[in-house]
Amino acid sequence: MNPLLSVRNLFVRFGETLAVDDVSFDLPKGGALGIVGESGSGKSVTCRALMKLLPTTALAKGEINFDGQDILGASEATLNTLRGKRIAMIFQSPASHLDPLMRIGDQVAETLRKHTDLKGRAIHQEVLRLLDVVRIPEPERWAQAYPHQLSGGMKQRAMIAGALACKPDLLLADEPTTALDATVQKSVLDLLVDLRKSQGLSMIFVSHDLGAVARVCEDVIVMRKSRVVETGKTREVIDAPQHEYTQMLIASHPDRLTLHTPQPVPQATPLIEARGMQIRYGGGGLIDILTKRAGGFLAVKGADFTVQPGETLGIVGESGSGKSTMARALVGLVKPAAGEILFEGAPAKPLGRNRAAYLRDVQLVYQHPYEALSPRMRIRDAIAEPLRRHKLCPAQEVPARVADLMAQVDLDPTLGDRLPAQLSGGQCQRVAIARALAMDPRVLIADEVTSALDVTLQAQVMDLLIRLQKERGLTMIFISHDLAVIRRLCNSVIVMRRGEIVEAGPTGQVFDDPAQEYTRTLIDAIPRLEAAHP
Amino acid sequence: MKLSPMFVCGATLVAVWSLIALAAPLLATHDPYAIDFEALLAPPSADHWFGSDNVGRDTYSRVIYGSRLALYIGLLGVIAPMIIGMTIGLLAGYFGGWVDTIAMRVLDITVPFPFFVLVLSIVAVLGPGIENYFIALALVGWVGYARLARAEAIVLRSSEFVLAARTMGFSHPYILFRHVLPNAMSPVVVYMMTDVTLVILFGAALGFLGMGVSPPAAEWGVMIAEGQIYISSAWWISFFPGLAMVLIGVGFALMGDGLAKMLRIER
Amino acid sequence: MKILRFIVSRLLQSVPVLLGVSIVTFLLMVNTPGDPIRLLVGVRASDETIAIIRDRYGLDDPILSQYFTYLGNLVQGDLGASLRFKVPVSELVAQFYPVTLFLVVYSIVLILPPVILLSVWSAKRPNGPADQIIRIVGVIGLAMPVFWVGLLFARFFGVTLGLFPVSGFGTTIPEHFLHLFLPSLTTAIWVVPILTRNLRSALLDEMNRDYVTAGMSKGLGAPQVFRTHVFPNSLLPTLNLFAVIVAYLLGGSVIVETVYAVPGMGKLMVDSILARDYFVVQGATLVFALTTIVVMLAVDILSALIDPRINT
Repeated sequence: MNPLLSVRNLFVRFGETLAVDDVSFDLPKGGALGIVGESGSGKSVTCRALMKLLPTTALAKGEINFDGQDILGASEATLNTLRGKRIAMIFQSPASHLDPLMRIGDQVAETLRKHTDLKGRAIHQEVLRLLDVVRIPEPERWAQAYPHQLSGGMKQRAMIAGALACKPDLLLADEPTTALDATVQKSVLDLLVDLRKSQGLSMIFVSHDLGAVARVCEDVIVMRKSRVVETGKTREVIDAPQHEYTQMLIASHPDRLTLHTPQPVPQATPLIEARGMQIRYGGGGLIDILTKRAGGFLAVKGADFTVQPGETLGIVGESGSGKSTMARALVGLVKPAAGEILFEGAPAKPLGRNRAAYLRDVQLVYQHPYEALSPRMRIRDAIAEPLRRHKLCPAQEVPARVADLMAQVDLDPTLGDRLPAQLSGGQCQRVAIARALAMDPRVLIADEVTSALDVTLQAQVMDLLIRLQKERGLTMIFISHDLAVIRRLCNSVIVMRRGEIVEAGPTGQVFDDPAQEYTRTLIDAIPRLEAAHP
Repeated sequence: MKLSPMFVCGATLVAVWSLIALAAPLLATHDPYAIDFEALLAPPSADHWFGSDNVGRDTYSRVIYGSRLALYIGLLGVIAPMIIGMTIGLLAGYFGGWVDTIAMRVLDITVPFPFFVLVLSIVAVLGPGIENYFIALALVGWVGYARLARAEAIVLRSSEFVLAARTMGFSHPYILFRHVLPNAMSPVVVYMMTDVTLVILFGAALGFLGMGVSPPAAEWGVMIAEGQIYISSAWWISFFPGLAMVLIGVGFALMGDGLAKMLRIER
Repeated sequence: MKILRFIVSRLLQSVPVLLGVSIVTFLLMVNTPGDPIRLLVGVRASDETIAIIRDRYGLDDPILSQYFTYLGNLVQGDLGASLRFKVPVSELVAQFYPVTLFLVVYSIVLILPPVILLSVWSAKRPNGPADQIIRIVGVIGLAMPVFWVGLLFARFFGVTLGLFPVSGFGTTIPEHFLHLFLPSLTTAIWVVPILTRNLRSALLDEMNRDYVTAGMSKGLGAPQVFRTHVFPNSLLPTLNLFAVIVAYLLGGSVIVETVYAVPGMGKLMVDSILARDYFVVQGATLVFALTTIVVMLAVDILSALIDPRINT
């Protein structure tokens, strides 16, 4: 049988850089192929080339054959009879891929108007049916809504509805679940799996997450640096990866990482203790004062927790759960509306006059490696800045200290003269960690430090943190939306939801036998390599 | 960073004008103020390259000397607005709260006034003259800078590297100077280039209306006004000073444009 | 109705701005050199008359109550009186304002077609030859002194070619169009580059948005994506700029009206400054500001009608 889609020796070049280097694969009718790779591996460009949806600066060579039609050689007019009708596409970050000024219903209807003869009522009926297919409740109501009124998951569903409108043969999904929370991600993946069955869709699924691919696709290709490094059945690739890179990729997946047994913690006076901490955003406006209400939005609704010396505490929750806000309160970036923070049993004032002394003990490392460093400051100066400002060591010893700190985080000393933009994401994150260590803190708060990194880098940064903790006897608070990462690193864990702590306890206990339904849903939503089709 | 051709063109023009202003006594063929009743309204010729005006003064020499005033007005006129605007904008954007509220209300109030009208009415109150023009600019010209600096400071305030500096326990003034200011400068500098053009234009407009530099000074706006009634018979009196203004204005505007491109600021 | 609530709240928001504007013009007035009343009634008036008028405008009261008197007079439409014409400023405004309004609207009509054409043209191929040329011509347009352009136009179109009258306003409506053609064109030369540059960058911003890729992936084709998605989205930032442009036009009208001797607010203001007719100067400044406030209000309401994100 002829494959539905056949790609032979595809090259895509942007000026000097080769984004796709000699890629070939076939997709049978009804099949699902995953393309896995890290950022910059060329997976998204490959996906877009299948529809010839490339910027004008791109130069594509090779052969893409879709059901007897040559794609790369086709005219724009011919392509426009295929796009949306026979090949549809869904994207990452649905929020930006929907036109903010157009009603959801109209955006779903666009393809219908373009490619079918349906008119007026019939289109409306079809739109409602499609919204129902992608499980949007009350289709009548949401068809009238504008994108900004929908949640992230609903926007992605609406985009899928638009893609399905003309019953395409092939659906291209470019990281469709990446920007979504784990539970939402799971529901979208489930929807895609269902749609494959019920609509007989063929699918190309691009993702950085092998776990997500495993859930949807039976075949997979692994890309690295613009090239395909491995091809095969998903199950087989996961069980017996052939290429060195695939092996590393799988070994770095949070699912496969060896659980790190944290050092047992003696029950002593807690190093940090939060009592009834409440944090409010906004409020205090004129109307709030007149009505004698607090107003604003309560981001953290009374949190109590303790951190033992030497322990690693994990805080998990989905976006908007208040976990990062809580961390920021610990270092004085936000002022709690109520409650107190104790450090070694004494009230700590992260906002007060002597905050510098407190902050020497408690440091925070941020999420985005590039953003956390001043863009016009050299790496060496960034690490030296706390040493110099707080006179932590004599001026002539600063260069030696900086070199020592760079060595501790495995940074090449020659990088010292570079600017942050000249480093990789992983290197920037190491600089940020080194800078925090310059203060010689006792507590290190890591706020989603691994989220912006590719899995292989993620694993390296985690290893670094584990090593530092051992060497320096650091106490850590590790904040993440990623349960697998938390499980690997932490002694105990706090689960947050909508500003409240829903569950807390030793990591093993919470993961193996969660007391709360919500915790269980979160754990079930982790994309697992084991989910691959047999 | 690659120099953009626009920036090079603009910088060259500005450099040439600066040289002309410095070397005016060498370049001028006549005394710009010398009245010559032998050559009233003389058309451009070998003796008077750009012709002469109604009292026989040499237009070419007056245009050359006029560059001194134009550069003086343009460069000096933007300094006070920039310093005031940057300070207010950065403080308002960085600290937020009531500082920002007050600054924003003041900004809101200045928006509806056409800039030139406000400058004009302030000069009307203070009286004509270049010093009063500078005062008027300091009073209202800072608004544009403040708006830009504030927008930058708001973004920078919540950027992770500024937060990181705060978690290092650094003081606010230090963070403002070392981390916020350098990163907020680029759009302000670009705006300043365009502002120099505008300040020169408005200064000349005041001169034209009789409220800026007073005659008989060799100021381009004044010269254009003097030539106004002779425009049908002796067009050169007004034409050449205007051309000079276009060339100096284009210089600064191109520099701003090229700089914006080099720094990837879209306007 | 949501939109009605938005309009009401927007109207309320402009109250503090109006108050602020009145404070600015008040400050301009109290700082006026010399005794305006002495100027108003002339040197021969008795001290008694002056005292009566000073009382009428509350000029001997503390500054704060002077302001409230001023504000009270403003609310009743009393902008003071002209020293030159010996009539209330409001009467002068009624006489001169329509001319300026005519000029501004006329300029806008002349400005819009080239702006839309040029910006779409240069955004089609960013950094292509057309874009570069439009950009450079724009820079030159920006740097041209309005009064100089006005003079040259008057000389060339008016004197050399004899196509248009070079001064005045005319008496009939067709005459108005003829008389104000050169003034409007002069104003347009200055504003077209600014607007083109802004609409171009708004168009380019929108053309690089993800929803354009999404639209292309639906097979809509570039022209339809441009029409239904890019253009409406780029209108919003440009619309917001419109209020600023009207302020520019009003500022430009001061110079243009002087050059072409058009009997509008701008010329009135310049003449009054030269004649030290301060109440008129302050009145004109206030009227200019009020015009911009009304335009800003209209723009905001229009944006709210287009953009569903604003009024919810």
